[in-house]
Amino acid sequence: MARDAHPQAMQPHEPGRTRTAPPKMPAQFPFAGNYRSYILFDATGLVYLLAGLVALRVVWALGTGPEAWARVQAQLSHPLYVLFHLVALAAVCFVAVRFFRLFPKAQPPRIGPAKPPPAPVILAGLYGAWIGLTLLLVAILSGGLFG
Amino acid sequence: MEVLRHDLVIVGGGAAGLRAAIAACELDPRLSVALVSKVYPMRSHTVSAEGGAAGVAREDDSLEMHGFDTVKGSDFLGDQDVIQYFVEEAPKELTRLEHWGCPWSRNEDGSVATRAFGGMTTKRTWYATDKVGFHMLHTLFQHSLRHPQIVRYDEQFVTRLAIENGAARGVVSLDMREGVVRVIQGRAVILATGGAGKCFPFTTNGNIKTGDGMALAYQAGVALKDMEFVQYHPTGLPGTGILITEAARGEGGHLKNKDGERFLVTRDYGVGQKAELGPRDMISRAIIQEIEAGRGLAGPDGEYANLDLTHLGADAIQKRLPMVRELSMLYIGVDPIQAPIPVRPVVHYMMGGVDTDIDGATSIPGLYAAGEVACASLNGANRLGSNSLTECLVFGARAARHAAQYSKGTSDVPEATLRRFGEEERARLDALRGKRGGERISALRREMNAAMEAGCGVYRSEESMAQCVSALAALRGRFADLRVDDKSRVFNTEILAAIELGNMLEVAESVAVSALARRESRGAHTRRDFPVRDDLNFLHHTLCLRQGAGAPRLDKKSVTLGKWIPEERKY
Amino acid sequence: MSEVKTRKFVVQRFDPDVDQAPREQSYEVPCQRNWKVLDAINFIKDELDGTLSHRWSCRMAVCGSCGMNVDGVPTLTCKKPVDELPDVVTVEPLSNFPVVRDLVVELEGFMEKLTKVKPFILRAKERAVEEGTHRQSPEELEEFKQFSLCINCMLCYAACPVVANEPEFLGPAAIALGHRYNLDSRDEGAAERNEIFRGEGTVFSCSYANECSEVCPKHVDPAAAINQAKFGAVIDWAKHLVLPRGGK
Repeated sequence: MARDAHPQAMQPHEPGRTRTAPPKMPAQFPFAGNYRSYILFDATGLVYLLAGLVALRVVWALGTGPEAWARVQAQLSHPLYVLFHLVALAAVCFVAVRFFRLFPKAQPPRIGPAKPPPAPVILAGLYGAWIGLTLLLVAILSGGLFG
Repeated sequence: MEVLRHDLVIVGGGAAGLRAAIAACELDPRLSVALVSKVYPMRSHTVSAEGGAAGVAREDDSLEMHGFDTVKGSDFLGDQDVIQYFVEEAPKELTRLEHWGCPWSRNEDGSVATRAFGGMTTKRTWYATDKVGFHMLHTLFQHSLRHPQIVRYDEQFVTRLAIENGAARGVVSLDMREGVVRVIQGRAVILATGGAGKCFPFTTNGNIKTGDGMALAYQAGVALKDMEFVQYHPTGLPGTGILITEAARGEGGHLKNKDGERFLVTRDYGVGQKAELGPRDMISRAIIQEIEAGRGLAGPDGEYANLDLTHLGADAIQKRLPMVRELSMLYIGVDPIQAPIPVRPVVHYMMGGVDTDIDGATSIPGLYAAGEVACASLNGANRLGSNSLTECLVFGARAARHAAQYSKGTSDVPEATLRRFGEEERARLDALRGKRGGERISALRREMNAAMEAGCGVYRSEESMAQCVSALAALRGRFADLRVDDKSRVFNTEILAAIELGNMLEVAESVAVSALARRESRGAHTRRDFPVRDDLNFLHHTLCLRQGAGAPRLDKKSVTLGKWIPEERKY
Repeated sequence: MSEVKTRKFVVQRFDPDVDQAPREQSYEVPCQRNWKVLDAINFIKDELDGTLSHRWSCRMAVCGSCGMNVDGVPTLTCKKPVDELPDVVTVEPLSNFPVVRDLVVELEGFMEKLTKVKPFILRAKERAVEEGTHRQSPEELEEFKQFSLCINCMLCYAACPVVANEPEFLGPAAIALGHRYNLDSRDEGAAERNEIFRGEGTVFSCSYANECSEVCPKHVDPAAAINQAKFGAVIDWAKHLVLPRGGK
C-alpha cells in the first residue's frame, strides 16, 4: 500500500466541494525505482554531518596540543573510521556524478549575449576541475607540495 | 436551486469560447463573463489541431485571393459577406495571438513563417511546428487568466438553454463534481461547443465532441444549417482515426496507392496541378475511389492509401513534423522517415451547425454561436484546411462584441423564473440517473455510429441515406428506454454519456435528413445518384428544424453571393 | 500468436457518498494487441461497469486528461500500450492528489498554482495590432519552445516527492510554464515571476529527484526548467541587490 502524502498536498485553498480521499505518494517511493537513488542522494547529508563532526574533533585536537593530535591520529586509523571515510568517499562520488549529470541541463539558454558551452564541454570542465583539485589537495596534504 | 448572475454566458472553453470571453472583457472590463465548459479549457478539442491557421501575411498574397480560395473551396455555398469579413480580420487576430505569446514558427528574419495548405493559392497558413491547436489553445487560456472578470465554471455540463419570452436568458448546467443543477443567468449566451464528430465511428474527434451546443440550440427551436456537409479529412490513421495533419502534404508529402502510384497526379481527380494540396473533399473522394477500384492497400483496420514522407528527409521531418512522426510511431508503429504512413479519410469537421448570421446571432435574441458549432456560413459545402482555427478567433470575437452590446439592453429576469428552469431540469436529470431501462448506452451509440457510417459516408445514395434516417428515428425512440447503471451523485460520467448520446442522436438525425434532401453533389456532400452540382435547384443553405419526437422539418435559406460568381470548381 | 489477451485490471474505486475509503475492484478485460491502457479502461466502462468514472478526451496524448497511476507509475493512459503490461495491472488515480471519485482527482489545486506564476506575456507597453507581430528569430523561439510543450497532464506532480510533502510548492509544470515566459524574448516580466519563484512555494524546494522529467510524456524536462529557474531567480535577486532600481 502506498504511503500517505501530506494531507494538504495539491489541495486548493478553497475547501474541496465534495469529500475527497486523501492523497497518496507514488507506490515506488521511497525505496523502489528511481526514488532509491533520490533518497540516497539526500541521505548523504547524514554522511556530511558526521564527517563535519569528525573534522571538528580533529581541528579541536590540533588546537589542544601535540599529545591530543597524536591521540586523534591513532584513533583515525581504527578500522571503523577507515570504513566511515570510505563510505564518505563513495557518497561524495555518488553525489558529484549525479549532480554533474544534472548540471548541463540546469544552465540557462543564454547569459546576456553568451551561450553556455555544450554539455560534453561542461562535463569535461566539471570532472576536470574535480579531479584536478583532488590531486592538488592530495599533493599538498601528503606533504609533496610545500613539503 | 442556486441561481448565479452574469452578463455574458459562454458555453464551451475552446478557441472560440476563450476568444469570445477575452473579446468581451476587452470591450468592456465591467462585464462579468461566465465561461462554462464540461471540461477544463486545456482539454478542449482545439488542442488536437495540428496544421496551422490561415491569414494573409505575405507580399505575394491578398485578401482578395484568400477570399476567392475560401469561396471556391466552399463550392460556392459560403456566404460572401461572411468570407469578406473573415479574410480582413484573419491577419489581425493571428497577430493578436502572437502578441499574447503564441509561439508561431519563424522565418530567419524573425517574421512569422507560413506554409502551403490545401486549396490555398499561396502560403498563408501560420503554423507552430505541427501543434498549432495546442499552442493556440494554451496561449488563449493563459492569456484569459489576465482577466479576473472571466469566471470559469469548469466541468459543468449545460443541459438546457433558458429561453423566456422568446429570448435567451441563461443556461441550466449540471455540476459534474457535486451532481447539482444550477441556473446561470446570462443577458446573452454564446455557444462555442464545437462539432459532433462522435456521431461517427471513425473520427479524428475526441470523446467530448458530441454536438451538445448544436442540440441545445436545436431543442430551443433554432435551425441547424447545412448539416449534410461533413468533412472527411483525407489522412487519418486507420483504426484509431487519429489525425495526420494536412501540413504533412503541405511540406511535400505524396499520396500513393498500392502500386506506389501518385494517383492524384496520374489520374484526374479534379485537383489539377495542386495534386496533394487540393481541397479535402476532392482528396478524400480520390482515396475512396482508389480503394473501390482495388488499388488500396489492405490492413487489419480496413483499406488505406500511403502517405509517403520518406523523400523529405529525416531533418525536415524532425524539425517541421515532429508530432506527425510521434503519432505515427506510437499509434500505428510506422516511422515516416523509413516508411509511408497508412491513411484513410476520416470524419473531422462539421461545416454545418447552428444557423447564425455574420454577427453570430441566431433566430433567438440573445443567443449567439461561434466556431465549429456555428454555421455563418464561412465554409459552405467544404472547408479549407487552416481556416477553422482563424474562424474561431474572428467569429468568437465578433459574436462576443455583439452579444456584449445586446446584453446592455436587457433587464434582469426574476429569480423565480430562472429557478423554475432549474427545477424542471433537475427533475429530468434525476429521472435519468440510475434509470432502469433495457438499452445500453454503448450499444445505442455503436448502432448510431454504424448507421452514420453506412448512410453518411464520403459517397452517399438515396437508399443508404433513407436507411440511415429510419435507423436514427428508431434509435431516438429506443433512447427513451435507456439504462443508466450509475446512480451516484459525485462525478457521474454515465449520466453525462447518456445526455451526450441524446444530443448526438438529434444532431445525427439532422445530418441524415438534410443529406437525403439535397439531391446534388456539392463540396463534401457526394451522391452516387446525383453526382453533379446543381446551382439551379440547390444553390441554397439547408435549414433543419426540430419537430419534437417526430421527423424534423426542412427549409431553405439563400446564400449571400457577392463579387465571386459560382463557376465550375476545378483546380 | 493470439490477437486478444485477457488481463486482470485491479481498479481503485471511490464514491464519497458510499465509501468510507477507496476500495479495489477487479475486471477481466480482453485486450487487443494494439490497445493502449485507456482502451481497456473504456472497455470496462462501456461493457463491464458503467459506474466507473474517469477523464479522457483526445486519445492522442495532447489534451492531458487521462493521467493515472498504472502499476504505481504516473502514466498517460492513452499513450501506454497494453502489451507492456503484466497479466495483473493496478490502475489508480494520480498519486499526490486528493481523489474526487474513482480515477478522477482534484484539479483546482493545480489550477491555483498555474495561475500564480503569471503565465502570460507581461510588457511595460502592449504592442498594437497595427504594428504587426514582434520579431523573434528561430533561435529565440528555440530557447523556450521545449518548455511550452506542457499539456498539463500533471504526471510530474504525481511523481514529485516534494509536491507530496510541501503543499505550497509550485510544482514542476507551473514552474516550467513560468520559466517558459521568462525565456520568451517578447516577455518583460521575469523580475515579477522571479519574485514569485523566490516566494512562498519557492523553486528552491526542488531537491533534484528528477522524477518529473522521467514521467513527462511530452519531453518537456521540467527538472531542467526548475533548476534553470533557480539560477535565474538568484541572478535576479543579486541584480536587485546591486541595482535596486535599474536593469531589466
